[in-house]
Amino acid sequence: MDTRFSDEITGRPGGETITRCYQCGTCASSCPVAKLDSRFNPREIIKLSLLGEKEEILSGDPIWLCCSCYNCQERCPQKVEIADIIYAIRNIAFKKGYIPKIYSEFASALTTEGRIGKVSKFVENKRAGVGLPTLQPTGIEALEKIFAATGFSKLSQKKEETQ
Amino acid sequence: MDQVQVGVFLSDGGNQLTKILDYNAITEFVKKVAGVVFVARGSEFWRGQGLQTMVDAIREGKVNRVVVAETLPKLSEVKIANAIEDAGLNHYLMEFIDLKDHCASPHQKTPSEATEKAKAMLLGAIERAKLLEPLEKLEFPALKSSLVVGGGIAGMQTAIDLADFGFEVSLIEKEPFLGGLAAQAGRFFPTDDCAICIQSPSSDIKTITHTSRKCVYRSGFTEIPNLNILTNSRVVAVEGVPGNYKVTVEKTPRYVDEDKCVQCDLCTAVCPVEVPDEHNARLRTRKAIYINVPHVHPPTYVIDGSVCKFHDCAKCVDICPTKAVDLDQRSEKVTMSVGSIIVATGFKEFNSSAIKEYHYGEYPDVVTNLELARMIDGFGPTGGVVVRPSNMKPAKKIVMIQCVGSRDQRYKPYCSSICCMISIKHATLIKSAYPNSDITICYIDIRTTGREHEYYYEKAREMGIKFVKGRPTEILRDPEKGKLIVDVEDALLSRFLELEADLVVLAPAMIPADGAKKLAEIIGIETEEDGFFKEYNAKLRPTETKLKGVYIAGGATFPKDAPTTSLHAHSAAMKAVKFLHTGKIVKDQRTAVINEDYCGDCEFCPVTCPYGAITLEQKDGEHFVAKVSDLLCEGCGICVGTCPQNAIELRHCRTDQMQAQMKALMSINGTSKPLVLAICCSECGHAAVDSSGMAKMEYPANVRVMKVPCVGILQVHQFLDAFKAGAQGVMVVGCKIDGCHYEVGSQKTEKKVELTKILLKEYGVEPERLEMLNMVFIEGDKFAEAAQMMTERLEKLGSLQTFGGS
Repeated sequence: MDTRFSDEITGRPGGETITRCYQCGTCASSCPVAKLDSRFNPREIIKLSLLGEKEEILSGDPIWLCCSCYNCQERCPQKVEIADIIYAIRNIAFKKGYIPKIYSEFASALTTEGRIGKVSKFVENKRAGVGLPTLQPTGIEALEKIFAATGFSKLSQKKEETQ
Repeated sequence: MDQVQVGVFLSDGGNQLTKILDYNAITEFVKKVAGVVFVARGSEFWRGQGLQTMVDAIREGKVNRVVVAETLPKLSEVKIANAIEDAGLNHYLMEFIDLKDHCASPHQKTPSEATEKAKAMLLGAIERAKLLEPLEKLEFPALKSSLVVGGGIAGMQTAIDLADFGFEVSLIEKEPFLGGLAAQAGRFFPTDDCAICIQSPSSDIKTITHTSRKCVYRSGFTEIPNLNILTNSRVVAVEGVPGNYKVTVEKTPRYVDEDKCVQCDLCTAVCPVEVPDEHNARLRTRKAIYINVPHVHPPTYVIDGSVCKFHDCAKCVDICPTKAVDLDQRSEKVTMSVGSIIVATGFKEFNSSAIKEYHYGEYPDVVTNLELARMIDGFGPTGGVVVRPSNMKPAKKIVMIQCVGSRDQRYKPYCSSICCMISIKHATLIKSAYPNSDITICYIDIRTTGREHEYYYEKAREMGIKFVKGRPTEILRDPEKGKLIVDVEDALLSRFLELEADLVVLAPAMIPADGAKKLAEIIGIETEEDGFFKEYNAKLRPTETKLKGVYIAGGATFPKDAPTTSLHAHSAAMKAVKFLHTGKIVKDQRTAVINEDYCGDCEFCPVTCPYGAITLEQKDGEHFVAKVSDLLCEGCGICVGTCPQNAIELRHCRTDQMQAQMKALMSINGTSKPLVLAICCSECGHAAVDSSGMAKMEYPANVRVMKVPCVGILQVHQFLDAFKAGAQGVMVVGCKIDGCHYEVGSQKTEKKVELTKILLKEYGVEPERLEMLNMVFIEGDKFAEAAQMMTERLEKLGSLQTFGGS
C-alpha cells in the first residue's frame, strides 16, 4: 500500500484528473475491452490506484490491456481522463521495470529496425511479388538521438537487465 | 460646534488592570494632553455610578467629546452610546478603546511597555475624538407592499405570509395558471400529500375553515383582499430604491375574461386547433383554448395566442354562453410601486437531449421524472397509468437513471439534491399501484438526507425495487421488439448488466427557470455561475440579496424539496416584513461624501461600490461628478480607497482623523523595539485582535492597533503615511479575501498592498515591512504570531531612515 500513489499519478501529464473519480462505472460499461476480458476494468484500476495499491497495479496485466478507444473518457461525467491516466500509470510501470514482453519487443524493434515490428517473411514476399524493394532499417540514427535525449535508451537497457 | 472639550473615562476593570498598567502615570499623562478637560477613573463606566459620572459631565456642559477606555468592549460600547445620546450628545462624538484585550492582556509580561502603549492608545483616541463630528439619523419612506415574482409554492407561500401581515401584495406568474413545477408533480415527499396542497392563510376569509392546509383551489388565498394575482405576466422594468421600487409588469392577453368564464368546457369542444399538451408531457393533445386541469387557479380558460386562428375561426366566441371570450384583448403594461421584491421563480428540468447516449427526445420511451409524474397523476394524460409513450401500453419493466446532467462536469457539476427522493417516490408509487412492475434504479450515490427520507429508501427496498450502483453508459433500442436496453456496470459486483426496459425514466438535473438571468439583470441582482440567484450569505443572510428590499424565495437559489421551499419562503417574507413594517427605513449618516471640487469624470467609484450606491451626474452641462445615495451606502469606504483624486471621504472615518490617530499612536514608543502599526478592519480583523487578547496570547507592545471600517478604505499613500508617522512596519489586517463583510474590500486592498511593496522597493525600503493578513475572530493566535514575527523581522532589518522615520 502506497498512499502517495495517486499523487504520483496526478503529478504526471494526463494523470491530473484521477482524484475526480466517484466510481459511477460509466467508464466500465463504455469499455469494449472490459466486456470481453474480465481482467480489465478501468473503474477498478482507478479505485485501486486511489487506494494506493501500487504494486498490484504496476505489476499486473490490466493496465496494458486498454485499447485506447477513449470511449470512457468521452462519457465520464467527471471529466476524468481515464485513458490518459492509464498511459500515465504505464509510464510509471515502465520506469519501475514492469513491461510486458510485447512492448519490450516493440522497443527493441525500434532500435534495430526503426519500426515497432520486424518485417516478416510474408510481407517481404508480398512486396517482392508486386515489385517493391526489400525494406531496410530506417531512421535509426535519428531515433537513437531521440532515445538518448528522452532517457528512453537508459530505461530500456535497465529493462533488459532486469528481465 | 463650540471649542472641543474632551472627557476621558478610564476604566481599570475593577482594579484588575492596575496589576499591569500604571494607572496613575496614565491618568497624569492624559490630563496634560491638549483639549482634555475632564478625566475620570473608575472600575467601570458602562453602567451604574461610572456611567452617571459621564452623563453628568455631558449634561453639565463640561465635555463635548468622550473617550472611553473600557474592558468589555462590544457590550459596553452600545450601552454608553445610548446613555450619551440620552444625555444630549451625539454618540458619534465618542471614541472607544479597549485597554484590556488590546494592551494589558497581551503585554502582561512587560508592564512598563504596556503602560506606554496605553498612553499611545489613549492619545490616538483623544486626537481622533477632537476631529469627530456629529452624524445625524436618516429616515427614508418605505412602502408596506411587495411584489412576488413566481406563482409556484414558494411564491404563493411568501405572498400569503405578506398578505396575512397586512402588506399590499402582487403575485405575478408568467404562465396562465398558478402552481409552478408543483402543479405538475402530483405528490410530494416526504409528506406524501398532494403537491397542490398549501398552508392556508390566517386572514379571515368567509366560509373557509382554518385548518392547517388546503388545496390551492379551495384554500381561499386568492380571496385575500390585499393580494392581487396576475397571471400571464412578466416583470419588464424595475426602477427606484429599496422601499420604493417602481415595477413595470407586462400582462399578455388571456383572451378569456376571468370574471365571466364558467368553465363549461363548450369552447374546447368546438376549437379546431389541436397541439401537443406541454403541461402533460406531450402525452396528449390540447386545443388552442384550454385549461391545464380543472382545479387550477385562476379557474378560467386561456387561448394560446401562438396557435389560435382568432377571427378566422371564432367558434369559441360564438358558443361561449357567458360571452367570456374576447379575441381583441391586447398586452398591457401595469406599473406598481412596491417596497420590496421577492423573486420566487423556481427551477426546471435540464434538457436531457444534450446527453446523446441516452437518446431522450429520440426514443419516445425515454422520459423524464416530470413526465413520469404526469403519468402517475390521476388528472394526467394517462389517468394515472404508467405507459410506454411509443404505443400507450402499460410499462411493466421500468429502469430509472439518476444524475442525468447533475454531478456532471460537462453539464451541471452540482448535485440537484432532490432527484434521488423524486425517483424513489415515483418507484414506490408505481410499485404500490402495480405490484408486478419491475423497477430498477441506477444510481451513483443515493442521497436521502432529510427527515423521513431514509425511510423512503428502506420502504422501496422492502417493496422489491432494485438498486444498481452504476451510471449507465448508453440506452440502446432493440430494432425489432422496440424494447430498450440499459447498458450498465453494477459497480459493486463489477458485472455488466443489460437491463431490458419498457420505459426508461431519467432524473435530469434541476436548473434555473427560464428568464432567471434576464430577471436578475432587470432587478439588478446577481446570479451564481450556475445561473441560480445569488443569496447574500447562505448562513448569515439567507434569502437576502445584495440589494436591500430584494429577496429570493425557494428553488430560485437552488433546487429544494417542498419543506425546504416552504421554510425559505417564510424566511423571505419575514425579511421583507422586518425591512418595511415601520413604513420607513432608518439608518445613520455613516456614509461617503463627495467633494465635488475634486471629483470629475472618472468612473472608478461607481464601478467599485459593492452596493451600487454611487452614480454619476452631469454638473454644469459638461463635467460628471459622483453622487452617493445615503440610502444605499453601507459606509465601508471602498470608494475612498479607489478614488484617484481623494475626492471621497467617509463621514465617520475621515483621512484627517485617521492621520491624527496614526501619528499619535506612533508618537510614543516606550519599548526598545521598532514600532508597528496594525491597521485592522472593524469586522473580522479587529475581532482577531480582540480574540488574541481574550485568550491572553502574547505579542510585543510595540504593535499598535488602529481600526478602520474596512481595509478597502486604505490607499497606497496611507501606507506610506504610516511609515512617515514613524512606523517601522505596517500590518494590514482584513477579513478573509472571500469573506469580506463588504464583499471586495480585502481583495482590493491586497492588490494595493502588493503595489505599495513595489513602490517601497523603488524607494529603497524593504517590502517586507508591509504585510497584509486575512483573519477571522478565531485566529487570534495568528495575529499574535504575525505581530511577533513582524517585530523580529524589523529588528533584523534595522531602523528605517527614509520617510523621516525614527
